Amino acid sequence: MKTDVEVDDKTSEPFETVNKDAIRDIFRDHTFHGVHQDTMWQLHRYGINCKLSGSVYAVTEIKGAIPLVHGPNGCAFHQRLTPRRMYSTVQDMPCTHLDENAVIYGGEEQLREKIIETYNRYKPKLIAVLPTCVSGLIGDDIQGVIHEVEGKVPCDVLYVPCEGFAHRSRQSLDVMMKEHLKAWKDPTMFPTREIRGCGHMEVMLALADQLMEEQDVEEHSVNIETFGGRQNYGFKRQLEETKKLFASMGIKINTTLLSCTVEELKKAPAAELNIVGRGIRWAEQMEKELGTKYLLRRWFLYSGLEGTEKFLMEIASKLGLDGEAEEVIAREKNRALQALDKYGKFFKNYEFALFMHGFFFTPHSVQTYPVDYNIPLKYVCVDTRRLKEHNVSDETIDNIIKNTEELLEEWDLGVELVINPTLSELGEIAKKVDYVLGGRSTALLYEKEGLNVVNTSIGTYSSPFGFNGKVEFAMNLVREMRRQHNKRKTIVSRLNYDESYFPMLADPMCLASREMWSTMWSLRGDNKLRGG
Amino acid sequence: MDGGKFFGAFRACSGIKDAVTLTHVPVGCNWGAMMLKTTSNQPDIRQACTVMHEREIVFGGEEALREALVRADKLYNTPLLAVVAGDAPAIIGDDVEAVIDSVALNKEVVWMEAAGFKGTMEKGYEEALVHLARLMEERNVIKKSVNLIGFCPDDFKVDADIKEITRLLNSAGIKVNCVISNCSFEDFVNAPAAELNVVIGQGTELAEHMKKEFGVPYLEPDYPYGLEGTKEFTNTICEHLGIGYDAEQEFDLEPFKRIYLYLHELYGTPVSVIGDCHAEPMAGFLDSELGFDIEVLASLEDDYFIFQQNVRDSNTTILFGSSFERNIADELRIPLVRFIYPVFDHVCVYEDAPYAGFRGAVCLTETILNAVMGFDDKFEAKTGGVIIK
Repeated sequence: MKTDVEVDDKTSEPFETVNKDAIRDIFRDHTFHGVHQDTMWQLHRYGINCKLSGSVYAVTEIKGAIPLVHGPNGCAFHQRLTPRRMYSTVQDMPCTHLDENAVIYGGEEQLREKIIETYNRYKPKLIAVLPTCVSGLIGDDIQGVIHEVEGKVPCDVLYVPCEGFAHRSRQSLDVMMKEHLKAWKDPTMFPTREIRGCGHMEVMLALADQLMEEQDVEEHSVNIETFGGRQNYGFKRQLEETKKLFASMGIKINTTLLSCTVEELKKAPAAELNIVGRGIRWAEQMEKELGTKYLLRRWFLYSGLEGTEKFLMEIASKLGLDGEAEEVIAREKNRALQALDKYGKFFKNYEFALFMHGFFFTPHSVQTYPVDYNIPLKYVCVDTRRLKEHNVSDETIDNIIKNTEELLEEWDLGVELVINPTLSELGEIAKKVDYVLGGRSTALLYEKEGLNVVNTSIGTYSSPFGFNGKVEFAMNLVREMRRQHNKRKTIVSRLNYDESYFPMLADPMCLASREMWSTMWSLRGDNKLRGG
Repeated sequence: MDGGKFFGAFRACSGIKDAVTLTHVPVGCNWGAMMLKTTSNQPDIRQACTVMHEREIVFGGEEALREALVRADKLYNTPLLAVVAGDAPAIIGDDVEAVIDSVALNKEVVWMEAAGFKGTMEKGYEEALVHLARLMEERNVIKKSVNLIGFCPDDFKVDADIKEITRLLNSAGIKVNCVISNCSFEDFVNAPAAELNVVIGQGTELAEHMKKEFGVPYLEPDYPYGLEGTKEFTNTICEHLGIGYDAEQEFDLEPFKRIYLYLHELYGTPVSVIGDCHAEPMAGFLDSELGFDIEVLASLEDDYFIFQQNVRDSNTTILFGSSFERNIADELRIPLVRFIYPVFDHVCVYEDAPYAGFRGAVCLTETILNAVMGFDDKFEAKTGGVIIK
């Protein structure tokens, strides 16, 4: 199916605020950070990372802070490479090197000495003491030691409870999914729970509890909890864009958490509002102790053009800026709509199938394609197998499927939902459409069948604030569709993949290890072990 | 910056290529070992975890271990389960042996206590091999055969190095019986058939054990880097086996001739080296054969902060180490040549590009020259906190 509609993606920039380097920046992220992404996802089929690694990542985001690992060598050794920043290891991470003596007699003396040594060596503004399984088990009074040495080092010392054995509960994802399912149909039910034990949240809470100081509040100013780190390529660009948009709405960014300095953290309570991206406990604590209001970024409800508008309006409303901001938001949205309209005229001439994993945002992500981009979706293939591996119950998965079906029907999107198709079934579906929209990992597999696949991974790197990200996404989609990929014979597409768990190879050892992890992880969640 | 006993034991066990390592630990230790192991071999996932959580910390992890053993026994088609128990079970006092004895399993099971706080990575490696050695069986000795001991499956360039060392020994008429720990279960069991154990850097305790139990003598040559290092390595083994062979006949200077002027220019280059048992032999090659000046030579067990300070205070212009040294190399705007575990920001998948042996001397020299000549930051130097362009 061919079209005469032409879209000049090079000259059709929708509004003057578009940063010409945006797509290049996203591709830099995609290449230099994204190269590790599939590996990390795949490894999550055989295990999960330590709570300590989340804390290490969070602390190292703060300029001037240093993580001090209170545990044996091995913990500090491998935690230098944390999954959230595979592109850059942690350089300065002192450790108390707990040995057998410390296990018997306690490690408090080592901690006391190491805090002082850490200050003398690195002169940080903040030392974050991170306990491990060993220090947690031997029962060191870490807070007592910190209290004792506080006067001896001219910097702040933080205690973050992040012992590795206290990682997230096996049921946590199931509970989260159940609550999100309710919110799919009734946004007022959006859950405020969070996954305990990721390590990041513990740092945020400790900072709110132990470091932040009361400030004079600056009107119309906000803190933004960022998800990507300050070393990410796109971070600065996204921040500039957000600053510009917020400034036109009359909003000032006080700081970005945790991509900031220790001093900026202390002054975080000067903001009138926290925009929360991950967990809310720290924000609740700040509201309770320091009076800072907060707004949770409700992921799927704020996706798409309507969602973004709603999100920005809610921020404005919380700051008492409804009137002023409304005009700016409408103008920006209108610009995006005009730009997307051009792309939509191109997309509507083709038929598409969308492949995605079943997750928190599934039906709302599907909705974005026909509604925002005017992309005619014929099939939506949803894979829920990964949820099962993460101990999401059969009942919850059934409800994900049922609710997705109901919502797609209610929204009258005219799509056929296909659940957990095998690789060959996906191949058959792909033959019935002009394009398949999918992630990088599946794109390669379709090419094995000579099928055209459009890589949508770039969407995950777009800015969560503002409308520009949607236009960039559409612009890139057109470029991708114009590429002739179906003559490729990629080397990886020649490999033998497992039909159910691709991109896992059809390797008996890998498959057994996947099943072993999935079983061990889920068993205790169901309390089936006698000791449990 | 040492990985501790758990990592050493894990690496030794995972070198039995058809075995499964069952880690009796909370999730983080299992993840870390897996992440660092799979950079250059992504489908090599042969590990399982008992997933110790708060509940196991309170009530004990023995049930979790029992459950994991039974399931792993059924799920995996493998002759051996190696159970590596880490810090948490050692502190809470899980009786691992009793649990293993209480279940009827079809596979061989070997377990070892490998609490990270109980020693270094090298100690973990040494002890694990001795534990595994109980699987070995008396065999008729194969004349002029050796076992190579001291490898790990996630060493950088391990497969290429083994291939080159094997080629060299074969040229001298020596058979490689078993490479420990990078071999099949069957080869490991049959290791006592070798006439000689060659311990390269680590594995001395296993060699001692095999000498006592099976009468296999051992040698401890350095890792064969460079022409001279390789010659000495090969000739020492030949001499011990009574083979009249001089490896010098294998010297091929032709590749070096093609780039000899660069090597002239790099004579006297100040470099620093950090690493495990590979570090000293590497420094030896750089010093005696490339003519580099060694500014700092450090082991993994040294204070890492002091190592970094020493490098900062030196004239180092090339750093040799693991991926962990990337930050200090970036800070000093000098190239980093990765050669020891863990390497997670470079891959090595081509088995004909070793760093060991005669061919390795060529590849290594090529890598060093490319690191220098292709270095992006070469026109910037940092002096006293001021960037001079």
